Amino acid sequence: MKVKVCMGSNCTLLGAMDLLDQIEDLKKLTSEDDNYSDDFDIEVVKCLGFCKKSKDNVAPVVVIDDEILFNATGQIVMEKIMSKKKK
Amino acid sequence: MKESYVDLVNIRRMVFAEIARIAYNDVDLNELERSPYNIIPGEVAKYRENIFRERAIVEERLRLTMGLDARHLSEFARVTDGIEEVNVNEMMFIPPLVNVITFACEACPVRAFVVTDNCRKCLAHPCTNVCPVNAVSIGRDRAIIDKEKCIKCGKCKETCPYNAIVEYDRPCAQVCGVNAIESDELGRAKINEEKCVSCGRCITQCPFGAIADKSQIYQLVQALKSKEHMYAIIAPSFIGQFGVLANPMQIFEGIKQLGFKDVVEVSLGADITTLNEAKEFLEKVPKEHPFMGTSCCNSWTMMVQKMFPEQYKYISDSASPMVETAKYIKEKDPEAIITFIGPCISKKLEALRDDVKDYVHFVITFEELMGMFVAKNIELSEIVIDKDVQDASSLGRGYAVAGGVAEAVKKTAQRLDPSREIQIESASNLHDCVKLMRLAKAGKKDGYLLEGMACPNGCVAGPGTLASYNRVKKAIAEFKNQSAYSTPFENEKIREDLKR
Repeated sequence: MKVKVCMGSNCTLLGAMDLLDQIEDLKKLTSEDDNYSDDFDIEVVKCLGFCKKSKDNVAPVVVIDDEILFNATGQIVMEKIMSKKKK
Repeated sequence: MKESYVDLVNIRRMVFAEIARIAYNDVDLNELERSPYNIIPGEVAKYRENIFRERAIVEERLRLTMGLDARHLSEFARVTDGIEEVNVNEMMFIPPLVNVITFACEACPVRAFVVTDNCRKCLAHPCTNVCPVNAVSIGRDRAIIDKEKCIKCGKCKETCPYNAIVEYDRPCAQVCGVNAIESDELGRAKINEEKCVSCGRCITQCPFGAIADKSQIYQLVQALKSKEHMYAIIAPSFIGQFGVLANPMQIFEGIKQLGFKDVVEVSLGADITTLNEAKEFLEKVPKEHPFMGTSCCNSWTMMVQKMFPEQYKYISDSASPMVETAKYIKEKDPEAIITFIGPCISKKLEALRDDVKDYVHFVITFEELMGMFVAKNIELSEIVIDKDVQDASSLGRGYAVAGGVAEAVKKTAQRLDPSREIQIESASNLHDCVKLMRLAKAGKKDGYLLEGMACPNGCVAGPGTLASYNRVKKAIAEFKNQSAYSTPFENEKIREDLKR
């Protein structure tokens, strides 16, 4: 699984670094637990450009594999990762 | 902390970006009435019980960010009332700095010990046995604490084997190290201006987002558009604050794109402060002063001034790194207009002081700066630049983390006079600062260099930061290693006479 966290200016303003903290913590938490399958990769990416294309506020943006999450929150992102990780 | 308060933090920051956008784009200020609809779109409440209240609170935040006072709910006033007064291109400050948005405050009850459902009405009932004022009795369902009798000693809480008794407090009052949070006639938080030292802890702590400080973003942007000789100086804790992909040089370049002529690290001023405080300590302690307090944290020095007026003279006379950095620029460009960018809101008050106001002309926080980057569509990580930031020594860059100031002064003083042993002690939240000063007042810290910081773990956890403490601490350690100079003595930007 690949988790991309957008670190564009708008996403950073609206908490992308806090999301990254949470995802990194989750990685630590699950790496010690055998109930979860393979590890996941976290990638921090430059502005993905979604804010500029959309009229609405979509930041912060997180992409899990092919799924794009707009207005990403810690609970939604972590739940998605966890449900994908379950054996 | 910040990640768990995400909605509140985001509303605050969206307001910063909105005001910066209005300022950069020359939007008619009457349009301010539209801004709550930009920030809280739609018809359905997302954060509170209804969208009207959500927008009303955003209106107050917009006013405070413009530098205006919050309105009284009982008096008719438009969002834009008083706007002409703040539509200027110089610093505009209407006291107080820290404000309760009264109708956002939920009037949380004051500190008390409360019995929860965990109570089993046990046979031993130690809670009743340990109470020094016989305030605890066993009721029908659980133990009962008589609030009239209770002296809030907490003994019942400590002794309960079921952890059934909790200490309840208003979050704003709990973090306030100087007891400045009182109540108004409706039980809402009210800040006692006589006591408040504007550290900003209550702003970040209130779970209802009911406390906010005033900003100078609008006036700063007006100045950037109309004036030359605009310089930015940026506090040591800036590393890693603007997204994990933005390196220091990109941050400096991004700030220039906002309209500044040049950017200088405040760590340079920290190096100068270090040299001054080291010399001052060697000269005065213990001959003239029993101990010396550092002078860089404005909330700490304000606290000493207000609560320990007789000991205030033992706080170092050396100017803060902010002021020393500004003086350095002023020497090179006497017409310089200088903006301090930092994690701190207390600096907004320091800049008003008679001995500071000619050097520092604007103060904004990292959060406010990030709002400006967004308003100007600046993507820091995409800036191509190949230069190095080398304004300060490794010790100067360490000022951002608790303990860094005392360490720098101690090392420097011992180099100036290797025969001296220097004892240091640091406190890094206001509660501990007050305790430390009590000990010092009682003569228990004679011969010491005392470092006081109002924010937990130092400036890196200031109210105006964006990144978490651990992230910034790591980034600062790295940035310290990248410095070409290990101590202020090697720093080529500092005049040689200051180093002797």
